[in-house]
Amino acid sequence: MGGSVKNRLKVLRAERDWSQQDLAQRLEVSRQSVNAIEKGRYDPSLPLAFKIADIFGLAIEDIFSRD
Amino acid sequence: MTDPANSSSGVLGRGPAFWAVMVFISTALVVTLAATGAVEGPVPQLLTIVPVGLFFVMARAGYKRAGQTDGSGKGEVQRRYIARTAIFTSLYLATFALLMFADRELAISKEVRFALALLPGLAICGVFWAIGRLMIEEKDEFIRMLTVRQSLIATAIALSAATVWGFLESADVVPHIDAFYWAVAWFAGLFVGAIVNRIQYGTWGAV
Repeated sequence: MGGSVKNRLKVLRAERDWSQQDLAQRLEVSRQSVNAIEKGRYDPSLPLAFKIADIFGLAIEDIFSRD
Repeated sequence: MTDPANSSSGVLGRGPAFWAVMVFISTALVVTLAATGAVEGPVPQLLTIVPVGLFFVMARAGYKRAGQTDGSGKGEVQRRYIARTAIFTSLYLATFALLMFADRELAISKEVRFALALLPGLAICGVFWAIGRLMIEEKDEFIRMLTVRQSLIATAIALSAATVWGFLESADVVPHIDAFYWAVAWFAGLFVGAIVNRIQYGTWGAV
């Protein structure tokens, strides 16, 4: 189970006024995936983390950090 | 499940989860009625029409839900999985009915009986294959992880139950159970796996 990594997805999403569904469509994953990552229940793989970083135009470490 | 926005996504305004519970309840009722002797003769077999019918309603609701474009849809991969499962379940029912009919009404040779008895098992293998394809084709890593967890939980439950029952049976303290019921236990295990996913990850998963 996830939980060992913190993330700023919710804040970043809110700054852009994106819903979880908006972000899910950009990432080509389900809304459930975004919800699970955002709540720290699931830690994304490195390729998905890179994709998230690319979408927000940030580095991975600007979004994810050690708990 | 009765959200107006999604009311067109299921069957009779209900989504696949609702119909899955109905399948589970009706199956449990039929098994209980048969096990307690409340119904006898061909009645239990006739009553299985109810959970089987509900299964197809559940598949239809799942298929429609997977095709939703409002965000609740789970995509083409899951539509394929549902269609494959429905096809193999139909094949299982048809071949099982054929086997029962041939066994009772026709004087068939041992070789023909062997071939007919092989078919329902192969159809169930098709359902296992469909779940395997779902794991391979699913691009969403989180949903794929949920499917794998669900299958592992189902495997643990079915193998544990088969092992324990096998020893009890060899000690003559429980009645004999035909081996194909362990596949039924595995499918029941998927139901448990979905509940565990829901509790731990907030979503039921794909199967």
